[in-house]
Amino acid sequence: MTHSPDTPSSAPEPDDLTPLDAEDATLDVEAALGIISAQRAAVRDTVEPDTRLLFATWGLAWLVGNLLLFVTARESTMLTPAGWSFAIYYVLLAVAVAVTIVHTVQRSRGVVGPSGRSGAMFGWAWTISFVGVFLTMTGLMEAGASPQVINLGWSALSCLLVGILYLAGGAMWQSTVLYALGGWIVVVAGASTLAGLPGSFLVMALAGGGGLLVGALASHVREYRRA
Amino acid sequence: MSDVELDPVIHSQARLRVVAALAQFHRGDAIAFTKLQEVLGMTAGNLSTHLRKLEEAGYVDITKSFHGRSPVTHLSLTSRGRLAFEEYAAAVTKILGGSS
Repeated sequence: MTHSPDTPSSAPEPDDLTPLDAEDATLDVEAALGIISAQRAAVRDTVEPDTRLLFATWGLAWLVGNLLLFVTARESTMLTPAGWSFAIYYVLLAVAVAVTIVHTVQRSRGVVGPSGRSGAMFGWAWTISFVGVFLTMTGLMEAGASPQVINLGWSALSCLLVGILYLAGGAMWQSTVLYALGGWIVVVAGASTLAGLPGSFLVMALAGGGGLLVGALASHVREYRRA
Repeated sequence: MSDVELDPVIHSQARLRVVAALAQFHRGDAIAFTKLQEVLGMTAGNLSTHLRKLEEAGYVDITKSFHGRSPVTHLSLTSRGRLAFEEYAAAVTKILGGSS
């Protein structure tokens, strides 16, 4: 990548286009087309969130967390996972949330206007929806739902929400990988509930977490082909 | 080779990079100077020089505002600039298609 020789700060400006563009005399159309597609990639890499990072982070959190829940639930007579496995699961989810927020805020910083607004609205959609899940589950607990129903409900509703928001994000940004992953996660939410305890945790770990990791791989392959 | 005219304002390595990068954003979006610098990997002085030329041509809109106490410069492609870039890209594609 060549830059025009320049002196920063307050160098006197050449008034016509010639002096700065001496190197540009040789810019041929093929190079021009290359520059256009290179900028497309540069903007994508600096502004859009890296889906590989996000899918991989969430995939690992779901896979490891749910595997621990499955293993400890299977050993328990009540089919309830051990407290420590829940603790680890929540820490993993908190890390994934932190990575997501830091990464997306960093990438979207410096862009104002309609797409920044859409991004912020999409971000808030997550928070608002999870508040809804929390209230719904609290209501079900107060209505006397059994620990099994509560466990299945938390898992399924959270998973359903992630899937639906991925579908929405895929539609909004025209991302096939995100949309396909969203559809898959919605199905996983239903399947894990049908599997019942403790199998639901295994379905969430392998199909949910595994699905996200496959999504990360698919994103990576796409990225590699584009480059 | 061809009689297609290439816009001299855009047909320059540095300015083509600036315009092509700005064209990737949605209509109505504005990008902070430092963010654009990060995308392009240009020095501040170099980028300013080319932005001024693009502004003179009516292709780029430069707005200065304050974020707290520090000044922030935001840039966006004008409708005219976007059209000029699209025509330039079409012309380049046409030349390459015609010469092969």
